[in-house]
Amino acid sequence: MATVIARPKLPPFELPEPSSFDSADPMGVRLGTPFRIPLLSRMGMSTQTGAIWLGTWGALSVLFFLAGLGVFAFAALAQMQGNAFLVFKYFANIQIAPPDGLGMAPSLQQGGFWQINLTFWALSVLFWAARCYERLVRYQWRPFLLFAWLSAILLTATIWVFRPLAMGSWSEAPSLGLNADLDWAQNFSVLWGNLYYNPWHMLAIFFLFGSTMLWGMHGATILATAAEGSHQEDAEIKDMHSGSHKSMLFWRWTMGFNANPKTIHDWLYWFAVGTVLSSALGIILTGTVVKDWYVWGVDHGWVQQYGPMTREAINGAPQTAPVGIGRVASPQVPSGQGGQ
Amino acid sequence: MLSFESVYRKRGGTFLADILGDDPLDFWVGRFYVGLFGAISVGAAAFGILVIILSIALIGDGDLVRVTISAPLRQYGLGFAPFMQGGNWELIIMFATVAFVAWALREVEICRKLDMGYHVPIMFSFAISAFVVLEIVRPLLMGCWCEGFDLGFTGHLTWVSNTGFRYANFYLNPFHAFGVLGFFLTAMVLAMHGSAILGTYNTNADPNKETANVDNFWRDYIGYSIGELGIHVLGFWLAIYTLIMSDLCILTSGTVVKDWVDFWHFQIPWFH
Repeated sequence: MATVIARPKLPPFELPEPSSFDSADPMGVRLGTPFRIPLLSRMGMSTQTGAIWLGTWGALSVLFFLAGLGVFAFAALAQMQGNAFLVFKYFANIQIAPPDGLGMAPSLQQGGFWQINLTFWALSVLFWAARCYERLVRYQWRPFLLFAWLSAILLTATIWVFRPLAMGSWSEAPSLGLNADLDWAQNFSVLWGNLYYNPWHMLAIFFLFGSTMLWGMHGATILATAAEGSHQEDAEIKDMHSGSHKSMLFWRWTMGFNANPKTIHDWLYWFAVGTVLSSALGIILTGTVVKDWYVWGVDHGWVQQYGPMTREAINGAPQTAPVGIGRVASPQVPSGQGGQ
Repeated sequence: MLSFESVYRKRGGTFLADILGDDPLDFWVGRFYVGLFGAISVGAAAFGILVIILSIALIGDGDLVRVTISAPLRQYGLGFAPFMQGGNWELIIMFATVAFVAWALREVEICRKLDMGYHVPIMFSFAISAFVVLEIVRPLLMGCWCEGFDLGFTGHLTWVSNTGFRYANFYLNPFHAFGVLGFFLTAMVLAMHGSAILGTYNTNADPNKETANVDNFWRDYIGYSIGELGIHVLGFWLAIYTLIMSDLCILTSGTVVKDWVDFWHFQIPWFH
């Protein structure tokens, strides 16, 4: 006999209220029907997925992203003589390189693919910024998210556009490809005298590791007190309850300092944004203002100068080594004869 | 004291109170909670800082940005080294590890006092694991304390740089790549969460409307809103993932893999 298992009634999907702002957009539709992934609730995450807003800016952004991806695929196929299997096999090593100089590339293979691809993707992220702005206006947020996205664009634009312009050649920018950008990062550091001694790189790493640390601290604190509602942050900022009290007291008692439900998000936001802003500064100075960060560090007393890289410095000076342990005394050279 | 603090400041519920019935260290100094583990942690940190000050005085370089307390020389292996040839480093690492572990246990006691989850000490334990793997576990596996991390502002940068080149190219270490991905992802998700809260707090008299606004925004923008609790779950696990990858990244270098470029020259039978 078949048993019918009664499914629990789920609450209706949450949908935004109709807005004249939305209907003014000729492409203003929400794509797809919302559906649920019940497993997500086991992890404390929201189960409703979709719908996603298209909008003119979103359509343009997706269009140019896909167009850039198409150029990448075409360039990759061209590199592998049209063999799709080789593209798959050597995917990590595919490299779409920029042209020399600042002009148009002489051919598709010599940087043309790179220029077209990068132009499309640059337009895509800028249209995405417009989409971000337009949605922020629709929901009347303060524009923090837009500033964060523009900061991220600033970093990529510094790497791919501003610094190559300042250096006078697109070839200063990374090639497109998986290993290509790892190699660029490695070579960039070696070429300009070790980026570890670049103080803006230091600051960027500080903010980057700090971001992870802050996520660890904030995420752990909220999960530890979520039973008392500390995760309802908009409500807690208005009116604090025991969950937020405990979150604050935990850090006050542990390290003598605490944020509150509002100010912790100032810390989070500016650490994350600080990462990309100081990275952009560190990149634009490298090769343009500072040619060698190690020499810069030594000059400014930051870095201990390495000893001279001579055979004597590495193996120990042979003429002063004690006689008797596997070594015979070298014949004494009378003064005034030979040598300096 | 915060306005609501006196309600929460209560004695009891500590390790010493459990085993002795009374805890003589169960008190606060200003804002700080002390406790048994606070005393151990501060004591160990004080000894460590004493060794650092003594070492800097003996090195004689007053520039605190440049001065470096290096790991022992290779000839001392896993044994004790003379003070100025790495013995100071060994002492500092020992005291630091004790201080960190005691600090984590102190966090456990504070969690017990406040009757909250142990998520923060668990997270801090993962952070300690990164230190312990770097300074103790990997040198033990490599058979020499000289494999440890040099202590110093630019000194540790030099160590990181040299270690990267020693294994050919650290960028090709897959755990390094996954770790870097974790660091970048945490920064991105952090910016998104910070923006959501800073962008919407106190914009409506009803906080439920603000929250619904956040959910609707993310559904419009990227097709999914993870929710108020979910975003903290995501941040928590992203941070743990990043720390685990960092552990694996340095633990495998030099112990099982000598050259990360060569590492990729494996052959898959049906593929090649």
